[in-house]
Amino acid sequence: CFKLSQWAGRAPAAPRHRLQQVMAVFEALPAWQRNLEQDGFSKNPFFHGIVAEVSDQHRTKDGHTKIGYALYFYSYSSWAGRAIYMEDLYVMPEFRGKGIGKALMSKVAQLGLAAGCNQLDFTVLDWNKSSLDFYLSQGCFDITATVGYHCMRCKGEALEHLAQP
Amino acid sequence: PDFLTISFGVKGEFRQSQQHVYIELQRDGFCQNPFFECLVAEIPEELKSKEGFTVVGYALYFYTYSTWKGRSLYLEDLYVMPEFRGINIGSRIRLFYESVGRSKQCVRLQLSVLNWNTPSRDFYAAKGGQDLTVSEGWHFVRFDGQNLDNLANDAPKI
Repeated sequence: CFKLSQWAGRAPAAPRHRLQQVMAVFEALPAWQRNLEQDGFSKNPFFHGIVAEVSDQHRTKDGHTKIGYALYFYSYSSWAGRAIYMEDLYVMPEFRGKGIGKALMSKVAQLGLAAGCNQLDFTVLDWNKSSLDFYLSQGCFDITATVGYHCMRCKGEALEHLAQP
Repeated sequence: PDFLTISFGVKGEFRQSQQHVYIELQRDGFCQNPFFECLVAEIPEELKSKEGFTVVGYALYFYTYSTWKGRSLYLEDLYVMPEFRGINIGSRIRLFYESVGRSKQCVRLQLSVLNWNTPSRDFYAAKGGQDLTVSEGWHFVRFDGQNLDNLANDAPKI
């Protein structure tokens, strides 16, 4: 049994602490940790999140009751209008197979629709067959395979070069 | 070329002379927490297009987030009218959105390209862009329409 709760910008101190509890189970991500306060809890947050929590009696060996999360932000398509992009979906291994991941994803979809979004987008690694099969069974489609879109990234020096004529 | 100016179309009037002006674009780009930002490329009146347009190109982008790296910029659209291509409007637009990205401390620029669009793929590869679909196997996946509604209906009441 679990419950979902939202955290985003303008949140009071408590949700920030809860997020840090969940994040404590991951390896340290220096850049992200430094920017989390600024980016997730400012007036115009760069992301929003939902945390999945179990009751105290089901807590992990290390004492965590926050056992999963979804991180998302709003995006845009000049064809289809407002969209929601799910950047992260994570459930601790020992809590998988109970519908928590599906519940988190559904909540993101529900919040997206409430905000007037027409699409929920995310990315999946093509060798991650079990995840891809799960998402396809839920009714999504693989834009890369069907339409041919490739994800492109420029960073560091490439980003500098891109600005040159 | 010095007859070209690039102006920000974020606040202020949205050029009604654009061929395609959608109500949603006006609502979503100019509300309190806009869903996107937009740069427009404008030329002087005396050089306007056959149909009378002085806004001849644009870039539409928004901010995204990575829990690994932090803020990124996602370039959704980059367009220059065909008759105004080949005179570096695209690169002037790029310069601007990159300075916007830097001012917001974005560490990445992300976009998508169709696999058959060889000129664009070659262009970004030449500039050092990575094709994450080819190199790491990332696929874009989408829920929309009835499938999105069905997914949302399965959400627990919080």
